[in-house]
Amino acid sequence: MTEPVGQSDVTEPVEQSDVTQRTEPNGPAARRTSVLIIAVHTATFRQARQFVPAVIPLIAAAGLNGGRTTVVALVVGVTLLSLGTAALSWWRFSYTDGPSSVVVTRGLLSRSVRTVPNDRIRGVEVEAPPLHRVFGLVRVRIDAAAGAADKDEELVVDGVSRAEGDRLRTAVLTHRQAPAAVPDAPREEEFGRFDNRWLLYAPLVGSYLALPLAAVGALFRVAQELPENLRPNLDDAALASVRGLVIGLVGAAAVLLAGSVIGAAIVNWGFRLVRRGGSLIAVRGLITRRHTELEIDRIRGATIAEGAGMRLVRAARVNALVTGLGDAHRRGQLLPLGPRSEAWLLAHRIVAEPGPLRAHPPAARRRRIVRATLAGLVVTTAGLIATAVAGWVWLLVVGLVLLGLGVPLGLGRYAALGHAAGPRSFSVRSGWLSREHAVLQRRAVVGWQVRQSFFQRRNGLATVVACVGAGRGGYASIDMAADDVAGFALAASEPWAATLSRPAP
Amino acid sequence: MTTAPLPVREPAWSLSRSAIGLWVTEGVLSSLGIAIAAALFAIFVPEDAGGPLPLLRWLVPIGAAVWAVATIGVRPWFRFRVHRWEVTPDAVYTLTGWLTRTWTLVPISRIQTVDVTRGVLQQLFGLSSVAVLTASSQGTVRVWHLEADVAQRVADDLAHRAEQVRDIAT
Repeated sequence: MTEPVGQSDVTEPVEQSDVTQRTEPNGPAARRTSVLIIAVHTATFRQARQFVPAVIPLIAAAGLNGGRTTVVALVVGVTLLSLGTAALSWWRFSYTDGPSSVVVTRGLLSRSVRTVPNDRIRGVEVEAPPLHRVFGLVRVRIDAAAGAADKDEELVVDGVSRAEGDRLRTAVLTHRQAPAAVPDAPREEEFGRFDNRWLLYAPLVGSYLALPLAAVGALFRVAQELPENLRPNLDDAALASVRGLVIGLVGAAAVLLAGSVIGAAIVNWGFRLVRRGGSLIAVRGLITRRHTELEIDRIRGATIAEGAGMRLVRAARVNALVTGLGDAHRRGQLLPLGPRSEAWLLAHRIVAEPGPLRAHPPAARRRRIVRATLAGLVVTTAGLIATAVAGWVWLLVVGLVLLGLGVPLGLGRYAALGHAAGPRSFSVRSGWLSREHAVLQRRAVVGWQVRQSFFQRRNGLATVVACVGAGRGGYASIDMAADDVAGFALAASEPWAATLSRPAP
Repeated sequence: MTTAPLPVREPAWSLSRSAIGLWVTEGVLSSLGIAIAAALFAIFVPEDAGGPLPLLRWLVPIGAAVWAVATIGVRPWFRFRVHRWEVTPDAVYTLTGWLTRTWTLVPISRIQTVDVTRGVLQQLFGLSSVAVLTASSQGTVRVWHLEADVAQRVADDLAHRAEQVRDIAT
């Protein structure tokens, strides 16, 4: 029963004096992680990694000239070091999930005891990286952040059996809620399931396109380290020829397309979103299975994001806005990638539909166009001067092109603007390159901020930010009619917002 | 400043009058710094240097003088006029900014913490600032430069009421 916890980010070994289960005078037993985790951490050098900077100069000093014996000795030494630190780490680590708090004890030299009250726990994530799966282990992350996505705010219990992981998750989440709120056998209801055809959307999403780029970058770094005679021999003439260039570009495009689809598949494979009791549970991942639990009570709304590329194929992604969720961008994902219709169905199961968006006044369109063409105007003016003074025409051409592109950009940005207030929820939308539609519950609003610049004042416009204790912290309705501000704020939040329009008694 | 109607109403109360004194002092201090820099420039840059330097020898002192007049003679009174605040039965409400005006409204039921701070200069003038924080990084209300006892009273009152009406606070 004694399973220690491994703090996966802060990886010092845990200080725990007895190896066997320890019973505290007035509390549940301290548990230990599985011994098998030592094998995993030895193989991945989890603890030993921090010694790498110290070992490299040693190796450099000793040199690698000794031939096979030296190499073997080195490998054995490093493995032993890793084994030792992993074992020490395991030995020093324990965790306790009590009725009121979770306590994690660890520390190599100085003992650290962290206590997190159950009511501060915002979510529990169970993940199974590939090596863990070989040994039947999982890693449990207990999220205790109060809004800040600070790594230090989470507890990590690394290396417990799958059954213990599930027990811990249930126990922590059950303790936190009123006991009556948890039915004996919570019914599971499926909210969404990933269709693998949706992976084809991946090349149109910026963040998935970045995956193969990062991989290629890493490859290049490795190539730089290779000895001279092992590097592929590309002579400059081949690179310079048009044919070489075309082949290179086509190859790069193919790698990018395939890489983004593969990357999306690895991250999202088998994505499933179910509701169990008071929680939404998302499971996904090909190599590392992630199991994220969000408490429905803490969900304040959802964002539906559509990038410029995704809009072409009517694709979208959905994120839940959960109060106090660390790393919300990844953990809050309800639909990583999918058709827009699917996205909206899901979003409206989370938060009530506030009705169709109201467009913003024509002055807002003028303002968007002016702002989008400003850079073009500056360059064009500079170009006119340059043409007159020095005869440089190219600057003028660049300026005119920018000016021309600014108009559709401004129109596009204007078209994205909108807001709506319904009986139980409201929504705001903005953005062109990445258009984001936020739908929020009325109770989500913890404050309003109204901003009016000099130019907005002259045009009768204002920007209203709904301050929310989830997601980005604020969602703005940009350039709405100044006269509508007070009415919208009152319609979209609770009666205190009447302060905006009514003088104090 | 403008004839266009405001999008939302103005909060009712001004800051403490002593704030003007504080801002004037700040203006004097920053003007002194700039005046010293300008004097050094005038002393150490040779008169016969090339390029735009001869012109700058005139522009720098003029700029420094304009800055001094603006920060000492004009800005404190402007600031006093554009900073407003109010505590209603439901909410804390502020208005700041001159070119870009920002109104912030936070309901008492969603207040998480109330901070009172006193800077060195503020202590000379018997002033304090109050910051009201919520669960949202953007939903923070700051009231600059209230009389110290007023600030403390407001903070205590807000904290007390927040405790009584707090719902989930997020």
